[in-house]
Amino acid sequence: MLEIKNLHAEVDGKHILNGLDLTVKAGEVHAIMGPNGAGKSTLAHVIAGREGYVVTDGEVRFLGKNLLDLEPESRACEGVFLGFQYPVEIPGVSNITLLKAALNARRKYSGGKEIEPNDFLAWVRDRAKRVKIDPKMLSRGVNEGFSGGEKKRNEILQMLILEPRLMILDETDSGLDIDALKIVADGINTLRSPERATVLVTHYQRLLDYVQPDYVHVLAGGRIVKSGGPELAKELEAKGYAWLEAAA
Amino acid sequence: MSLIAYSQSFERFAATLPEAERGARRAQLDRFLISGFPGRDLEDWKYTDLSANDERAYTLANGGEFVSGAALFMDADRVVYVNGQLSTDHSTSSQWHAANNTAAATGDGITALNAAFARDGLNLQLGRDERRVRPVQMLAVGTAADGATMNHQRHRIVLGENAEATVLLHFIGAGAERLGTHVVDITLAAGARLTLYRLQDEDAGASLVTQVNLRQARDSRLNALTIDLGKGLARHGFDVDLAEAGAETEVSGLYAPRSGAHIDNHIRVVHTAPHCRSRSHYRGIIDERAKAVFNGKVIVRPGAQKTDSEQRIANLLLSRKAEINAKPELEIYADDVKCAHGSTVGQLDETALAYLRSRGIPRDTARALLLRAFATEVLDRITWPALRTHVEASLHLPTEMPEVIET
Repeated sequence: MLEIKNLHAEVDGKHILNGLDLTVKAGEVHAIMGPNGAGKSTLAHVIAGREGYVVTDGEVRFLGKNLLDLEPESRACEGVFLGFQYPVEIPGVSNITLLKAALNARRKYSGGKEIEPNDFLAWVRDRAKRVKIDPKMLSRGVNEGFSGGEKKRNEILQMLILEPRLMILDETDSGLDIDALKIVADGINTLRSPERATVLVTHYQRLLDYVQPDYVHVLAGGRIVKSGGPELAKELEAKGYAWLEAAA
Repeated sequence: MSLIAYSQSFERFAATLPEAERGARRAQLDRFLISGFPGRDLEDWKYTDLSANDERAYTLANGGEFVSGAALFMDADRVVYVNGQLSTDHSTSSQWHAANNTAAATGDGITALNAAFARDGLNLQLGRDERRVRPVQMLAVGTAADGATMNHQRHRIVLGENAEATVLLHFIGAGAERLGTHVVDITLAAGARLTLYRLQDEDAGASLVTQVNLRQARDSRLNALTIDLGKGLARHGFDVDLAEAGAETEVSGLYAPRSGAHIDNHIRVVHTAPHCRSRSHYRGIIDERAKAVFNGKVIVRPGAQKTDSEQRIANLLLSRKAEINAKPELEIYADDVKCAHGSTVGQLDETALAYLRSRGIPRDTARALLLRAFATEVLDRITWPALRTHVEASLHLPTEMPEVIET
């Protein structure tokens, strides 16, 4: 589903990714771990197409398409979803407006019709329940006045509503208490299916207790320096990253 | 300066006036001929130079075809003018069309020009305790005629004690080279409440000057909101005098000129009496080759103790070719007052834009959503639903979902 080959990328002229390779197949869950500054978030943003992240070499293909040729909105419409580490507050644009605009943009992109208002509201209500967000909050501005945990749950809500094919979650677990962590994990597991793939970018092993990964990769110095199964996450939790950074 | 064309126009106009009126009118014309159109040499007109009009030859407009039915508010009592002539076909309330006192106070050349040429206009007088539920729409339409034309009108609104009204001063135009001036005198007696809207959507080639002079007596309340759109040159002067204690005034506005347009708002709130409150909230969206000027001045006169005043101006400058000159001013001559002001000029929030795009929303839509969010602060103050719908449609921004989502 996602094929990344020899990816080099820089931000503000600084090299962050240095020849990264990663292949994610449909149905798989991959965890990307690593020390601060290793390039984990950069990888997530490069896939999503954020401005300011310059790819200097390599390729990123998603379902056979060259993702790097597409605008960020087209990548989203192709089915890529990035859950942000720091979701933005947008006063004046309500959550419900964002959701409707996003859903209809995606439908339009794939040649479909706009969603019926009643179907839309029913869909939103159902999904909001799963992440324990009061639908009334959705009339407020995007993330406006939301707590840290609410913002993360709101990211998951958007994901549940848009039903992406590739879910990339950038440190979605950071700053969450155990209840919120379970809700977030529940949301991810809800969408887990043979047609979808998930990339969890995380610093800690904690989230992986709730979302069982198929593969764990360690990112250091802008490359993947070690890959393994779920047991690698436990090993990292015990030994830290220093021994791998030295190897990088 | 030549100004000859204006003298000639005046002679033709004067011939239609009653003998007794001519002298006073001529005095105003003379005043205009001395000062001419205001230009850069005057501080108040530094960024809006009308002096090129000195050489133009506008002739007095004389009626015309009505252009757009869409501008008529069906839930309002209407007084409609086309090129300065009352349109009885489109007016529902012609009884409020009347002559108004044209004596100009001292002022710049524009005021004198208006006083010399002003024709009848809206004259709305409400007696004590009279409350009008239906809004009143004064619509002034400018349409193309042979050659360059001008139109000058004087309007008057008087609310008696505890009277209440909602009035829309609406200016639209299409085509041709036109000059319009409208002076509106408003007085609010004790306890009166006025909601005053002004909506301007002029066309390229048109110059429109509107001047509202408003005096508030004890405990009266003004809610004023002005929306400037369009492609023309528009200058709006708004002078509010809080003349007696307990008066409250809230003036707000949104200017979103199209490319090539020039919008100038000059707001002046004078706290003459103590214990008065004033609020100003203006927002500007300036894109492409549009130009906007905002000058907001609050003056606290000696003795106006316990004045409570706040002024906030926020502008979005969206293109390198766009221009904004924004200046909040404060003059305080009393010592026990609370006055705040602030003015900002910024760009669209790139982080918010990136976030919306990451959800699949195309750049143009995302941008429009953010602009709408910015405008909402002012649009939310429009309490007349039909007007709000009309303004939103004219802004070409996407509409919001219904706010309520049932659980």
